[in-house]
This record gives sequence, C-alpha cells and structure tokens, in this order.
Amino acid sequence: MNKLTLLLCAIFLALPLQAQEEPFQTVITPAFSPVTWERLVNAESEPENWMMYSGTLDSQRYSRLNQINTDNVTELEMKWSYQIPVIDRAETVPTVVDGVMFITEAPSNLTAVDARTGRVYWRYDHELPEDLRICCGRNNRGVAILGETLFMSTLDAHLVAIDARTGNVLWDVEVADYEAGYSKTAAPLIVKDKVVTGIAGGEFGIRGFIDAYDPVTGELEWRTYAIPGPGEPGNDSWSGDSWKTGGAATWITGSYDPELNLIYWGTGNPGPDWNGDVRLGDNLYSDSALALNGDTGEIAWHFQFTPHDVHDYDSIQVPILADIEYQGSTRKVMMWANRNAFFYTIDRETGEFLEGEAYASQTWAQGLDPNGRPIRVPGMAPTYEGILVSPPIVGATNWYSPGYSQQTGLFYVTSFDGEQEFFKRDEEYEEGERFTGGGGRYNQPMDAFHSSIRAINPATAEIEWEFPIMPRSSAGITTTAGGIVFTGSADGYFFALDAASGEELWHISLGARVHAAPMTYAIDGQQFVTIASGNVVYTFGLKED
Amino acid sequence: MSNFTTQLGHFLTVALGSLFLATGGSFAEDAGNLYNTNFDINAGLKYFERQCSRCHGFDAKGNDETGAPDLTGRLVRASSEVGIFNIIRTGIAGTAMLPVAADLPDTQVWQLVAYIGSLSTDPANIDLPGSVASGTSLFTNKADCNSCHMVDGQGGRLGPDLSRVGERRSPEELLSDMLNPHIDVAPRWWTMRVTDRDGAVREGLRMNEDSFSLRIMDEELNLWSYPKNQIASFERVEASTMPSYTQTLSDSEIDDLVAYLFSLRKEN
Repeated sequence: MNKLTLLLCAIFLALPLQAQEEPFQTVITPAFSPVTWERLVNAESEPENWMMYSGTLDSQRYSRLNQINTDNVTELEMKWSYQIPVIDRAETVPTVVDGVMFITEAPSNLTAVDARTGRVYWRYDHELPEDLRICCGRNNRGVAILGETLFMSTLDAHLVAIDARTGNVLWDVEVADYEAGYSKTAAPLIVKDKVVTGIAGGEFGIRGFIDAYDPVTGELEWRTYAIPGPGEPGNDSWSGDSWKTGGAATWITGSYDPELNLIYWGTGNPGPDWNGDVRLGDNLYSDSALALNGDTGEIAWHFQFTPHDVHDYDSIQVPILADIEYQGSTRKVMMWANRNAFFYTIDRETGEFLEGEAYASQTWAQGLDPNGRPIRVPGMAPTYEGILVSPPIVGATNWYSPGYSQQTGLFYVTSFDGEQEFFKRDEEYEEGERFTGGGGRYNQPMDAFHSSIRAINPATAEIEWEFPIMPRSSAGITTTAGGIVFTGSADGYFFALDAASGEELWHISLGARVHAAPMTYAIDGQQFVTIASGNVVYTFGLKED
Repeated sequence: MSNFTTQLGHFLTVALGSLFLATGGSFAEDAGNLYNTNFDINAGLKYFERQCSRCHGFDAKGNDETGAPDLTGRLVRASSEVGIFNIIRTGIAGTAMLPVAADLPDTQVWQLVAYIGSLSTDPANIDLPGSVASGTSLFTNKADCNSCHMVDGQGGRLGPDLSRVGERRSPEELLSDMLNPHIDVAPRWWTMRVTDRDGAVREGLRMNEDSFSLRIMDEELNLWSYPKNQIASFERVEASTMPSYTQTLSDSEIDDLVAYLFSLRKEN
C-alpha cells in the first residue's frame, strides 16, 4: 500500500460517517483512488489494477494474478460484455483502477464502466472534424492515468485530459495539424510528472516526434523529433530535403525504466514507404528503437532495425524490458520481435546488440551482422513491375503487443509467415495527401500462409514452441502467474495457452476479429480477464459455486 | 403508404417551381441555401415532423435511447449549411442516420436545412442586458457556481460541466435554470438515496441506473456501483441539488450570469 492510499485510509477512518457506512463494503465496487507515480512504478505489486496500456512500465504484460490458472482455466465463463456504440473495430486495451474500467472507443471516445458489471458511469464523445486524414481505420488503443486524470489521443492529433470521476474535459491541446496528415491513436505513457506521447501519420509524409506534456496544464515540456534536423547527427542519412517528409511516426506506446531513467520508444517506416529513391541513405531514426532521457527527451542511444527501409517494416512494436540471465550474468535487456521478421535482444543501458535471429519467414535479408544490422539480399526493393518479398507489408508481426512471462522467461509474439508482391510508384509530396510511393498485393489467399503464436528464448533468440493459427492473428498477448498466455485470432477466437508448453488450454468463439490485447484485473479477490472483439468488450471470470 | 405516394405528398408541400429543380441524389459542394424563407422553413418543419421526428423528436431535441442528437444547438457533425445538406442527403455511415430517399428533390433537402438552421440561436443576433465580464466574476466569487460546476477544466464536479453550455441552452433557459433549478432536471443530476440491508444510507448524484444496478457519485466524489438485488431500497430524488438564486442575487447579477453562461461556447 502506498503512502497516499494510507493517507486516504486514515482520512476515511477519521470520518464517523464512514464507519456507519461500512456494511456497503461487501456489495459495492471499491471507490476509485488517485493514481500516483509511485503506484505506476510499482504497478506490478497491485495486480488487481491494470493502470496503463501495457500493464507495467516495462511492458511485459505479465500479471501476478494466478486465481485463473492452467488447472481451472476451462472453468472460465463470460461475466459481462459492453457494446461499443460507434461501429468500427476495437483496438482498445482497457485500464482498470480500483474497480473502475476505462474503455477507449472508435473514433476517439472514452467510457468509464463498473469493472465488475460493465455498466456505465460516464462517457466522453470527442468532437472530430469532418475531413480527417487517417491511414488505417478509426482506432484508439487506450488511455494513460495520473492522479485523477485520464490522457487520451484523438484522431485529429489532439491530446485530451479527462477527469476520471466525471468524464469532464480538463484540457484539450493540439499536438500537430491533422490537415497535414498527423493523427493520434496510441495510449500515452506517464513518465514521472509528464505525459509522453507519440504521433501517427507515417503514410502522409509527416515528420515523427515524441512529446512530453505537463499533466496539469497540457503545456508541451519537450519534443524529440524522430528525424534529426539540419546540423544534428543523422540528418545526413537523408538525401536532400527528404528528412522533412520522412515519416518515422511513433504510433505505439513505449516503455520506461525508472532506474535508468530511460524511455524506450519505437519509430515507424520512412516515407514514402515503398520508394526509397527519393530518400537515399539510412534514414535515421526511422524503423528504430529510441532510448530517451526521462527528463529531457534527449536521445541517449538508438538502434536502427531496418536502415533505408523500402517495405514498410515499422518498428513500432512495444519494447519489453526485463533483466535476464545472459551468458552467465544478469543483463538489463530490451526484447523486440520486429515487423521485419527478426527478433532482437538488446542491452537497454547501452543499446548494444546481443542476440538476433529471424523468428518468421523472410527473404529480404541474409541475416544480421555482429552489430545487428541486416545484411540485405540484393534486388529485393520494390519495382514498378512488382517483386515478391517476405514478410509482406503487414509484417511478420505488427503493432499487436507481445508478452513476456516471468515464470517461463519466454517472450511471446503473434507471428505471420507470409509474402507479398511489392510495387514502387513515383509520387510528389503534397501536404495532407497520402505519400507512400507504391503498395503491395498478395498472390495467394491468406489461408495459404502460416501464422502462429511463437515463444522465444531471449537469451538465445531461439523459438521454444509455437501454436498455429488459421488463418492469422492481429491480437496482442498477456501472460499471468497462473501459467497462462491469453491471446486471440482474426477469426474471432479468444484463447488460453500453457505458457510453458504452448498447449491449448481453453478457447471460446467471440464471433468477431480480436484486434486488441487482453488485460486482467481483480475485484474483491476475484480475477477477471478482458478482451475486445469486434465492437464488444468481453470480460471473463471463473464460474462461482 | 407506398414510397411513391409519400414522395408525391412531399412534392405537394413545396412550390411548384421546385418540381423543375428536382434532381435527387446530388452532393452539395457550393455554399449557401437559396431556400430559407419562412415558407421554406415551414415546409422543412412539415417534412421533419413526418420523417425525422421518429428519432430526433418533434422538438428536435434528440433522443438518448436512439442516439439521435439534439439538433437545436451547435451541431457536432456539420459546421455549415452544406454540411447539414450532405448529412441529410447521404446519411452517416455506421449510424442509424440514413439518407433521405434518393429521389427527394434537393429543394426539399434545402428546406430541411433551413428548418434545422432555424432551431439554433445565433449568438450574434442576441443582445443580452447582462455583462459577460461581471458574470465571469460572479461565477467564481459571489455566486460560487464553480464549487460545483466546471468551466474549461476548472471547478467542481457535482454539477454539469458548463464549458459549452451556451451551445445547448438559450438565455431564457439559463435564466430558468438559475431561478427554478428544480424544473427540468436531467436524470443525470437527480439524487439517489440508497439504503442497504442494515439500514445504512448513502446519497449521491445519479450517474447511471439500469434494471439491475445503479451508479452514483457521493458528495466526497466517490464512485459507487450497486447491484439492486443487494440493497434494501433506493429512492430517486428528482430535484436539483442546486439552490435557486432568486434570493441571493439581484436581477442585474442574474442577467450578468446569463450573459456569461450564454457566451460559453467552443470557439471561446
């Protein structure tokens, strides 16, 4: 229990009214209490709550809850469902604090419900302009919370602060100009006393950045561009003025190490996506992991997975941080299964490459050199006529959250062994218009490809087991101390695997694509697991006697 | 009634000249509504009552259950007459807002636009006696409105957020709200008095209630959720928790507050 909670308890106990009302404690949802930075740092130790997009700052998506476990997971039953009123495809990971669940909805709305029943406390509808520029659907993936304030990205590239008790807007700031192709879909990340957030728009010739805002006033504290400006190291990795429209969007939530005071954040593809002729060079820091100082946003180190990418291999995966045994000693590492089909284990203090292997089908690289830089297969760049390359544009994985289990020491990723014909086109940049320079097409039906959940040993980069998926999955992964990997599939299943063996334990058909990651929480000692499928948020728990 | 007969009925309500302009299924791109006389507004009203009121209500105030928005204030999805025209003509994908019949003449769509336009109050056309500056000061000082109400993120949470109240309440309604707060209280601001099986009572603002459960916020801003079958009883108090300002503010001060509240809009 943290100091603030103790203080609040002390205040409540001092009120004579509270003692009189004690009988309610058995039938009601516990009262929501403010989320301090200390609570977020120690989120792992209050597993009854899920207080940020990836559960904890290290983004392992590992919950210490074990009431639902490998022995009883077959006893799961649906406890409630919540229908999102605006029809789209939910990518949300709900946040739960003290029995209140916050669900983001398409296009940029937010609802607070009782996490025990799914019934609404309040909802906030964000007003959007009619002429949005968005590449890939009207998505929102979640909120961040600090104190009693929720922070949400919106499709018109705003960051909105919302009162967690009422849904009132506290402030609403424009992060970037939506008319120039900027948008926002990812949950922000709280880092101490700042709201850190990225930007989307990599298909519109934007210049990506990572921002930090004051949670009280909404003022911009710092901005770090994902593409260096003139005179900065790395700017010369872009030919001509191509850095100005080079993309490198930062459209998925990053991670944070409080001890090292480093923020880890992925960056997206260089723009235009498939025509690299107009942006010769490595195109730093596109397709990279950036380590930023937690106070200033200054880049401490970077690791570029795919220099001069011409296949849209965004590196916007959520970085998973863990301390693992590596070659006889404990190392602080960052694990990353990239869209480019390679898995990487990197020293997160220095950015040093430790291990890397292909974890999925790929034909574009011969392998990785000792520094982790890909050795390209010549002649695999997109052409006007089309050329077959693996992985396809959608990637060997994509933005869907991977998971890590502290019990097994394994890293879990949704993977896809596919291929696609890549085409190059000549396009002029025009503000607010798509700027992609090509595209792709499949030569075979999706059912012809192989998909699976793969478990990777981060110390060796070797695959320990895989569970096949037909036809594919775009769901994230959550692991628990009950020995379970929870995930879903594109054909509408939600299922549980044995984290150690990959054996199927339980599945249920939810009837619509699972395009989000599960999360788990507890109320009054009862564990729940929640997943969005189609436009519905489902919550499961064990059958009660 | 057949679709043809319905359409014929619509034609009879408009000027004969519009028959020659009938070219259904178009999409407006140019600005301006040529059909905005009282005759047109009245024709739009008749069409609205017949075709639109099922969801939006006869008073066009909307319906929470159907999700149809209030059309009498600032419109969320359209910022111009052309925008309203296009929504009526093409509908809103993914919602219950369907397009009007493809063969409905543009003229009649414009008359609907004129009617909807007539429902909202253009603040530029209203000259209120009160002072916005004085009202601003009253709000946070003497009248102490901000202890319960929020404006732009500042203020209390025991009353509605008033940051954009000028878009949804007319000056007359705002005046009534202050003098007679118990009239027309939205269910969100009723009070629920919950008694548990041991007789303990807790009161709070009614955030939500359904067949089997209810949720309230108490005076300490705690959120509570109750299954109805686990409490002894509950009572709705359909009155406002807001005091009347009849005795505490002068007429001119109330005018000032009305002027201030009516000025609270998104563009401010």
